[in-house]
Amino acid sequence: MGLEIHDVAHSFADRRALDGVSFDVAPGVITGLLGPNGAGKTTLLRILLAVVAPDRGEVHFDGRPVDDEDRRRWGYMPQERGLYPGMAAGGQVVHFGRLHGLSRRDATARAHALLEELGLGDRWGERTDKLSGGMQQRLQLAAALVHDPRVIVLDEPFAGLDPVAVASLSETLRERARNGCTVLFSSHQLDLVQDLCEDIAMVDHGRTVLLGNVANLRASSGRRQLRLHVEAPNRDWLLAHPDITVVSDEADDLRLAIPPGIEPLEVLDAARAAGRVVDFGLDLPTLSQLFLSAADRTPGLAGVR
Amino acid sequence: MGTWWRGTALVGTWWRGTALVAERGLVETVRSKSFKILAVLLLLLSVAAVTVPQMIGGGSTTYTLATAGRAPAGMVAVLDAAGRSADFTVRYESRKDGDAVRRTVRDGDATAGLAGGTLYTSARDVGTFPVLVAQAAVALETSRQLSEAGLSPQQISELQSVRPPRQVVVGQADNAGRAAAGFAVGVVLYMALLFAGSAIANTVAMEKSTRISEVLLAVLRPSQMIVGTVVAVGTVTTGLLLVLAAPLAVAVQITDEIGLPAVAGGDLGLAVAWFVLGFMLFAFLYAAAAALVNKVTEVGSAIMPVTITIIVGYLLAIMVVVPDPSSGWSAAASIFPFTAPMAMPIRWASGQVPWWQLVLALALTAATAVLMVSVASAIYRRALVITGRRVRLREVTGRRAAS
Repeated sequence: MGLEIHDVAHSFADRRALDGVSFDVAPGVITGLLGPNGAGKTTLLRILLAVVAPDRGEVHFDGRPVDDEDRRRWGYMPQERGLYPGMAAGGQVVHFGRLHGLSRRDATARAHALLEELGLGDRWGERTDKLSGGMQQRLQLAAALVHDPRVIVLDEPFAGLDPVAVASLSETLRERARNGCTVLFSSHQLDLVQDLCEDIAMVDHGRTVLLGNVANLRASSGRRQLRLHVEAPNRDWLLAHPDITVVSDEADDLRLAIPPGIEPLEVLDAARAAGRVVDFGLDLPTLSQLFLSAADRTPGLAGVR
Repeated sequence: MGTWWRGTALVGTWWRGTALVAERGLVETVRSKSFKILAVLLLLLSVAAVTVPQMIGGGSTTYTLATAGRAPAGMVAVLDAAGRSADFTVRYESRKDGDAVRRTVRDGDATAGLAGGTLYTSARDVGTFPVLVAQAAVALETSRQLSEAGLSPQQISELQSVRPPRQVVVGQADNAGRAAAGFAVGVVLYMALLFAGSAIANTVAMEKSTRISEVLLAVLRPSQMIVGTVVAVGTVTTGLLLVLAAPLAVAVQITDEIGLPAVAGGDLGLAVAWFVLGFMLFAFLYAAAAALVNKVTEVGSAIMPVTITIIVGYLLAIMVVVPDPSSGWSAAASIFPFTAPMAMPIRWASGQVPWWQLVLALALTAATAVLMVSVASAIYRRALVITGRRVRLREVTGRRAAS
């Protein structure tokens, strides 16, 4: 079940931002909405939250159209920071909790727990604009999570974060997903979030160009590379695999492109038969490589349509 | 039944969200340093405006009468009696001759001077005191002559008790007070809106430029954000007006020396109604205008058209309605919603407005204010997500944008 996005389209006065985007977001699975800047990610997330009305298309949750009451129980973190600069950190989180329907007491208790979890426990009374950028980011996250949302939508949550902050935010999101939350976030830094997403929806020019489980997509793509350091006198052992192309060959370091249908382990065995293999590894394509190959194909497809 | 219940629940939810927006705005404003400074300043200003004239005036007025030689006992008795009833005291200065009396008055050391058959007064405005002195002199001389003619003191006293007919001001005596109330609505509305309008516009622009609006729009309807903000700023403005009015009210309670124009309770109620309606109408316009800006610094130019509308409405009220409240233009200005809050209270004071016109103007203004909530909400929703540049009005009002 989870979140289902059906054929969503939206145009601004001068350009088409989304052109029939459809994908599902399963509960318990961290899903990345990926694509370059201007791909339509923010517009899509705004449509999910009803900040923008779509020209057509529908958003369903647990099998029925989403209404305002549902959305009030969602958590949303927009791309740019949306915090009252003059308010105290704690009061801010309490306010958003109450806006999401919590009582003042519950909101206060939850805000305390959440700020503690996010390492802001001692900043309760501090003015928001006195906090550092990283702290404001965590405060923003607290404001989005204070009401224990079942659905969490984050727009570019990793933009501008240092590696430590990226790791800690990733952990927070993983924990929510483990507890059964539906988590969808957008990012243009594809390789940064490669290890976090389980599912992805890649968009480009307002269309989905790649959908599915990250591990499957990477494994099944035809762009696997076998990296070998083999102490062999020559490369004759490669002749048995004419489909394999040599990407690079410097000294004993060899990089081979393994097309679909060929088992990398067989190639490794052949190499071991030819000489001592000192080091080896199978490199799956990165998300940006997957994106580039997927996006390259789309102009052709668009022409056929 | 089900629909009714759901409708009520929706209204309840709407108010809850709106009240939260208002509560937050109110708490933040009241806590802010600038609000505290403004409130204290207004209070000091108001206290000063009430107390300083009293202190300078020193209570009752004192007149000085210079006379050649000692003032006659009869004159002193008559003037002191007049002073007791009209709340003034008289000081008497004796000079040796008429010339000295004349110089005393000329130098401003006496309000009036009496020597021989001459009453000296200065060119300055000294009110009715010289007239009182003249009357007293005439009365004393008359009674002296009557006494010489052989009349008894009893008869003289009877003759002097003859009074001119009592003068009663008729016509619409309360008009001045009512017109003052009408003007007050215009002036207070104008001042309150200049303050509140920029406060509302700044809040909206701040929420837009910090992208708080985007988080809010995911939870609230634009109408809740607008109405909540306007309620918060309206409450603050009312509070400041009360601060401004409190010393005056206290002074009126404890002394009876401050005259307020006598205004009927109905007129006062009407003035409050016009203030509230006018405030809402323009407050929502300010909110809509501010939603068009990209940076907080652009607020000033964005709200200019709204401010100009208020000023034009006020000028129309003064230049068209005051000289001729019964003209067609006056009627139009007092019914057209954007000028009615300023024009109608002034026109109503003239006493020449049919009831139906008042009701029509009130209804039209209220309806326009409600309409403004939805217009402002529409602009707000569309303009808030267009960032990075100033939004043109056309972009957010056209049919295309409505999708």
